[in-house]
Amino acid sequence: MNGISILKARVRAGFAVFAGCLLALLSGCAPLGQLVPQTWELRSHWPQGVPQTVELTQVPFFPQDEFQCGPAALATVLAHTGVPITPEPLVSQVWLPSRQGSLQVEMLATPRRYNRISYVLAPSYADMLREVAAGNPVLVLQDIGAVLTQWHYAVINGFDYSSGTVFLRSGTQARQEMPFTAFERTWIKSRYWAMVTMPPDKIPATAAEDAWMTAVLAMARTGDGASITTAYETALRRWPDNLQAAIGLANEHHSRGSLITAAAILRRALLAHPKSVVLINNLAQTLSDQGRHGEALTLLGQADTNSPFGEEVRSTRELIEQRIEQQRSALR
Amino acid sequence: MMMKKLVGRGLIVSMLALSIQTAGAGMIGADKAAAQADRSMVVSVLTRAETASQLQAQGVDTRAALERVAAMNDQEVSQLAADMKSAPAGADGGTILAVVVIAAAVWYFAFRK
Repeated sequence: MNGISILKARVRAGFAVFAGCLLALLSGCAPLGQLVPQTWELRSHWPQGVPQTVELTQVPFFPQDEFQCGPAALATVLAHTGVPITPEPLVSQVWLPSRQGSLQVEMLATPRRYNRISYVLAPSYADMLREVAAGNPVLVLQDIGAVLTQWHYAVINGFDYSSGTVFLRSGTQARQEMPFTAFERTWIKSRYWAMVTMPPDKIPATAAEDAWMTAVLAMARTGDGASITTAYETALRRWPDNLQAAIGLANEHHSRGSLITAAAILRRALLAHPKSVVLINNLAQTLSDQGRHGEALTLLGQADTNSPFGEEVRSTRELIEQRIEQQRSALR
Repeated sequence: MMMKKLVGRGLIVSMLALSIQTAGAGMIGADKAAAQADRSMVVSVLTRAETASQLQAQGVDTRAALERVAAMNDQEVSQLAADMKSAPAGADGGTILAVVVIAAAVWYFAFRK
């Protein structure tokens, strides 16, 4: 043994002592149920319908460069949904030089530039397991600092109940194995922050209707028309009465000039939401664009004038009246 | 330096103004149909520009800053401004030095006779 390896061995022993002290300290302070409340819960309440062992081996792995776990983790989940990408181009999109890291809000925003929908999971072990079981790798924020806070993004791609292990693509490790308890300790600091990214034709297993629509609309700000259309259609299949999805889908068709399809979608949505001023306004506009001005004006008469959309309704009415006037003068 | 910053900001505002998207004429957007609270949360072009130039001040180049802000909804734009200073930034490294120092101290006191 040379000098360096002796030193190494001693440092390692020091670590072991230190870790032992820490563990004793922790377990001396609080019962396990408080230290790792969700793991504790899982012991007796394994989420129904979730298999006990899952490993998504097809999830790609990009070993991270220094500090750049954000781009590496994002590339992992994006590539899994079929985006041809590596971490490098993501650095300028998500990495914040002054902080030497990536912010959660930007981790959520970046996938939209690739027509993917980001969704923040409920802060729950069970939901995370459910997503992995459904085939969606989960991007998590951990504090992996031994003493000081050290934020880190990694991707969970599997778990095994019998050995109590979580599998992660993390940092330079293609297959990191962490006990449920140890993982929970790193995850709890971010308040169990976790996200998934979905292609426009899929919805996460644990998605809630309103939160999912917020996620879809955020993607619709910058996504391409085909992806946005698919996302609205997918949402409508799951939640046929969703107002925003119907309005969004109709708008996509309207902007492409498919007025008949747009009108049909709006009419169907009106059956479920007869008082929606947005639906009435948009259908009136669409009908008028089809040249059916009289019908449009009659419909517009049903709109509640005290709604927050009074201004929009007024200007739609003015436009239609102008069009009728133009028609008359053309006939004269 | 001051001049450069001003030019950067002017550029950001003009580029953002160009990129404003509206639903087709006369159509109300799906984002407006959400809860009424959302209507009061409309972030002006100026707020977006301000946030983009803050990103720029944190070392992101102008065009990239604009594109990053463009991928966010209004609520996220407001949040980003606050997050830049203090929110968790997943990184790695940084505390390695502290760990080494503490480990060395443990070794020093535990093993050195």
